[in-house]
Amino acid sequence: MGVRLLVLTVLSVALMVVDARFTLLKPVRSQMSLVLMESYWITDLPQRLWQGVASQFGSRTELVAENEKLKTENLLLQGRMQKLAALTEQNVRLRELLNSSALVNEKVEVAELIGMDPNPFTHRIIINKGERDGVVLGQPVLDARGLMGQVVELMPYTSRVLLLTDTTHSIPVQVNRNGLRAIASGTGNPERLELRHVADTADIKEGDLLVSSGLGQRFPAGYPVATVKEVIHDSGQPFAIVRAVPTAALNRSRYLLLVFSDNRTPEERANDAAVAQEAEDRQNGESTATPVAPATAPGTTPAPAPAATTPAPTPATAPAATPATQAPATQPARPAAKPPVSTPAAAPATRGARE
Amino acid sequence: MSSTHSGNGWMVWLTFAIGLLLSVSPLPQFMEILRPLWLALLLAFWALALPHKVGMVTAWCLGLAEDVLYGTLLGQNALILTLITFLVLSLQQRLRMFPMWQQCLVILVIFGLAQLVQLWLSALTGNRQPTLALVLPALVSALLWPWVSFGLRGLRLRFKIN
Repeated sequence: MGVRLLVLTVLSVALMVVDARFTLLKPVRSQMSLVLMESYWITDLPQRLWQGVASQFGSRTELVAENEKLKTENLLLQGRMQKLAALTEQNVRLRELLNSSALVNEKVEVAELIGMDPNPFTHRIIINKGERDGVVLGQPVLDARGLMGQVVELMPYTSRVLLLTDTTHSIPVQVNRNGLRAIASGTGNPERLELRHVADTADIKEGDLLVSSGLGQRFPAGYPVATVKEVIHDSGQPFAIVRAVPTAALNRSRYLLLVFSDNRTPEERANDAAVAQEAEDRQNGESTATPVAPATAPGTTPAPAPAATTPAPTPATAPAATPATQAPATQPARPAAKPPVSTPAAAPATRGARE
Repeated sequence: MSSTHSGNGWMVWLTFAIGLLLSVSPLPQFMEILRPLWLALLLAFWALALPHKVGMVTAWCLGLAEDVLYGTLLGQNALILTLITFLVLSLQQRLRMFPMWQQCLVILVIFGLAQLVQLWLSALTGNRQPTLALVLPALVSALLWPWVSFGLRGLRLRFKIN
């Protein structure tokens, strides 16, 4: 009996080490989870049944009231979306002017919560979308009001999501009002995040909205994360104590959104944009710019810098200089940035859904 | 009784399956911390009742299943459940003679030890649980032991599991 215990203990320890250090056991785990994860589904079944029954026997007045409510909400969201389309357009134009890479439009997909992690000291949930649905490790998860967390474990048809408030989780954020950067760490309390290492003099106050800054290159930028609840200045402490409440309903949301963002690095993205721009440029140059080329060549060499910085001093040099220096920036940028312009329907749909 | 070799062994596995379901069933927030160690309770009972059938290898396999369910390192819960089964098996002769309240005490000690090992293991793997509240499940399990063993004994007599 003692020998058996010894063998099994050694085996367990070996398994743990291998599982922690290498990816050797991932397929085994995913095969086992194929069967075992059904138990989350089964334990969730009574609630599903109850919901089904409740929706079957929902009274007419209730349904009418709900319909009314949804209609007004829809109207509000539609209104907001109209404005958003204009704003998106404007944003793209401004970005073109700044010659920065275009805003990436994220695709989202709806997932449903099917289980909570039974360990009360971790904040993890199980959702009903997995590797076969195209979910990837580290993928951000939202609900209607803000960021919830990221995917930490993939199984064939389910995945495990680590919530923002887990003690092992941190997310780079930005104060929406002034762009102050900070890192929001989970505390183990589902209603609280803490901002670490915020200077005592930093401009942050109660009610500030914290949005994801995208600096960790894991979460997309600009999604609401939390609102600051209290800022405590303690002269005995080196840093201010900043507590925030997550905007997402971390322990109440049942339907979540999985964000499929561009998984290229910013460098690659900029590279791709540059290549696309160059191609566009060449096309435009071949078709239209043949008469312009001889005119710009002498114009740019004497004074390209003043023409670029102050566009109005002499009307003669300005049009001659700008095509040469700014040409890749202004004119071809429009066709290069076409994808985001042509899909405003997708962007407001995703944005509208979270408001 | 022991002449029939069919023995309804599948009932044992059915209880283990139900135990797995119970160990992931949703509970209210304040009760999460008190969740009994269902698999450990079932293993303790069957190891006492059918030591020739349910042993450490069974415990180890169930532990692996629990690891997959909980998303912990493969082998962590397997090690814990193996340890519990080993302790129960080595105290088996005495435990069978004990009155119920003494069995409860022994179960409390065994599960408490196992939970401490659990604490060390999770500290090693990086998510340290902040309090000693993890001894609470051991306490709840010990309090549940009389009911579980009574129920399972009834089941065993009824289906002649051996």
